[in-house]
Amino acid sequence: MAAFFKNLIRNKVMLFMVLPGAIWFFFFSYLPLVGTIVAFKQYRFNREGFWASISKSEWVGWDNFKFLFSTNDAYTITRNTLLYNLAFIILGLILSVAMAVLLSELVGKTMAKIYQTGMFLPYFLSWVIVGYFAFSFLSMDRGMINQILGWFGAEPVQWYSDPKYWPYILVFVSLWKSVGYNSVVYLASIMGIDKSLYEAAMIDGASKWQQIKNITIPMLSPIIIIMTLLAVGRIFYADFGLFYQVPRDSGTLYSVTNVIDTYVYRGLKTTGEIGMSTAAGLYQSVVGFVLVIVSNFVVRKIDKDSALF
Amino acid sequence: MSKGKKSFSFALAMLTAFALVLSACGGGNKDAESSGSGSSGSSEKPVNLIWYTIGTPQKDVDKVMAEVSKYTQEKINATVTMKMIDWGDYQQKMQVNVASGEPMDIMFTSAGGFDYVQNARKGAFMELDDLLDKYGQGIKDTIDPAFLEGSKVDGHNYGIPANKELPQQEVWRFNQNLVDKYKLDTSNVRSLDSIEPLLKAIKEKEPNVTPFAMDKNYVPYVPYDYIIQNLPMAVKLDTTDYKIVDILETPEMKQALTTMHKYYQAGYVAPEAATTGSTSDLMTSGNWFMDRAQTQPLADNTWSASYGYPVKSTPASDAIITNTSVQGSIMAISANSEHPEKAMEFLNLLNTDPVLRNMVDSGIEGTHYKKVDDKHIENLPEGKNYDMPSYSLGNNMLLYLNPNDPDDKWEQFKKFNAEGKDSPILSFNFDSTKVATEMAAVQNVKEQFWASLMTGTVDPETYLPKAIAAFKQAGLDKVIAEAQTQLDAWKAANNK
Repeated sequence: MAAFFKNLIRNKVMLFMVLPGAIWFFFFSYLPLVGTIVAFKQYRFNREGFWASISKSEWVGWDNFKFLFSTNDAYTITRNTLLYNLAFIILGLILSVAMAVLLSELVGKTMAKIYQTGMFLPYFLSWVIVGYFAFSFLSMDRGMINQILGWFGAEPVQWYSDPKYWPYILVFVSLWKSVGYNSVVYLASIMGIDKSLYEAAMIDGASKWQQIKNITIPMLSPIIIIMTLLAVGRIFYADFGLFYQVPRDSGTLYSVTNVIDTYVYRGLKTTGEIGMSTAAGLYQSVVGFVLVIVSNFVVRKIDKDSALF
Repeated sequence: MSKGKKSFSFALAMLTAFALVLSACGGGNKDAESSGSGSSGSSEKPVNLIWYTIGTPQKDVDKVMAEVSKYTQEKINATVTMKMIDWGDYQQKMQVNVASGEPMDIMFTSAGGFDYVQNARKGAFMELDDLLDKYGQGIKDTIDPAFLEGSKVDGHNYGIPANKELPQQEVWRFNQNLVDKYKLDTSNVRSLDSIEPLLKAIKEKEPNVTPFAMDKNYVPYVPYDYIIQNLPMAVKLDTTDYKIVDILETPEMKQALTTMHKYYQAGYVAPEAATTGSTSDLMTSGNWFMDRAQTQPLADNTWSASYGYPVKSTPASDAIITNTSVQGSIMAISANSEHPEKAMEFLNLLNTDPVLRNMVDSGIEGTHYKKVDDKHIENLPEGKNYDMPSYSLGNNMLLYLNPNDPDDKWEQFKKFNAEGKDSPILSFNFDSTKVATEMAAVQNVKEQFWASLMTGTVDPETYLPKAIAAFKQAGLDKVIAEAQTQLDAWKAANNK
């Protein structure tokens, strides 16, 4: 114990600096963990308040988890969630790094800033607004794309009732919104690379491409791994706004737009069974946790220094 | 490693300490609660009732409630705080408020928003049988008994329904400007098929007008009453054997969906109907010809006044008293209310006292409205700061009339109510607890197929069998079987 306090005093400045973050995590991440108990209960209100409701509700074991697996929807939504997120992670990584490298190589810094800001902007838009952007392109009778098709004499497409286009549309929209932000993260670490490395390479006669391949990418790899690990941890979480707002909740598209989050939302918004929503949330978290541990383990095997922990 | 262990145990200790502090707070609250509810003498400090209701939050709510409180303090020694939650958020926010034990006394609930039956079963509301006998005599005397009877859940009352139109009747609404312009005859219209010539005429003559306006919640009318709104389990209105059927498998629905698809393909329906949330922009612009709506006496006047152009309607169905219509607007007392007796006294006053009811509805006389004569009122410019949904707040038949309402408005309502026919399953409420897993799955299937089928967006020839199969796979048969068992028991108990 004495050693603990000594340690505390020695690092007091550092600890003080992490205090706000730690408090935030305690209240918003650790304290609510107690609530996962609701996943195993049939939640019923009690007049004595929230805690009484939890403690007096009946235990139902794993019953609340059943609805997730009761139909073959479970397969569709798990497949959609995983495949979309994989596509987002892989394509997002390639595009963001490529953009970051391109931006860093631009000579005119004013133009670089303009491109950067332009690409960054979509990140700040809410999904509702992005949904309407997409609608202005894809609307059946007034959408831009159908009008352009009309000029070429092609038949208008019923975008919101034909599932086959949506995997591409969703991936495109998601990348459009996120690539700008991620490329800034990579750009920042490119800026941090020691310039003497490039100078040395240039003296040795390395081309631009060789510099990128042999200096920029290897120097970026730790941050790439961290970003990817974090993304893998959330692979079971679909971006609700993307899958709900952009396809305008159109029923005929569900085979390609239904993901765990939207499935749970639709199933529970009317029934209001809090136990089941909690169960779904817990299931997502546990799978996400396992995925982070596993992928970190894999990274550790390959390159010990790059692993998160 | 040992360092890590220690900091972990430290965190654990903190967590325990914090939980203790929290539970201590909870205990303190409870003490205050019991001392508050134990006393009701008039010399006591007035209690404050917290009242959650639906509607766009109004600027002057607090100002009006201050006046209301003055009045209620005199009458029943209670003051009122009203909290409004906007239409779209009500269900979700109340779900959270109730689950987390937010202090509240009275709340709005209905078949549509923040489901009355389900939440009554989950224990969100206080059972009112005794309170109603003790403090609610006025309510029992004024409100149409069918309302109180129809809002019983498992034999008990959990809320006070608003006295208003009792049956629900579907009508076709017409934009009268267009009807007059092309001299169309709407007198022979009733069934879904009968509107075709009108739609056709408008489509030809007014290409920029949406002939048949609808949003994604549209469902063609078939003579069935649904066990749960918008799930495909229903009982035929003229049933004798009380058999619950899958509405999608009935010939009536198949016929209606085929007609809808024909209309959709002919361009009578907006191409995006299945994903359209609201038709209010069409109503504002007037670029629509007809739609379907639920009516009440003098509804044409209300619609015309609110849109700014004449709207006329003709019946599309009989007037039927169903659970949905009876449970359309209810005030319940929260299960965690600290002052249930006072809340009941307040609800009693709200439903019997014209002064209080009109103050809650229209605001302060001279500020928000002025009286034209002893029955009619006119809104003042300030009135837009306190524009409340009348249907949701209690007995409608106490309200002042709008300038162009006839004097006998409420008599017309009473007549309309008396003429309504009871649905065979009126006051049967399905308890879905046993099939909760299947319900969640069925709900998802419904979301997938419902809107596109009902609006005619997809061809029922191919999609209807798909939808039926998907519902079956999600366990609809099991849900129907459970509902049938309950309905049979209910039928036996009620000698139907």
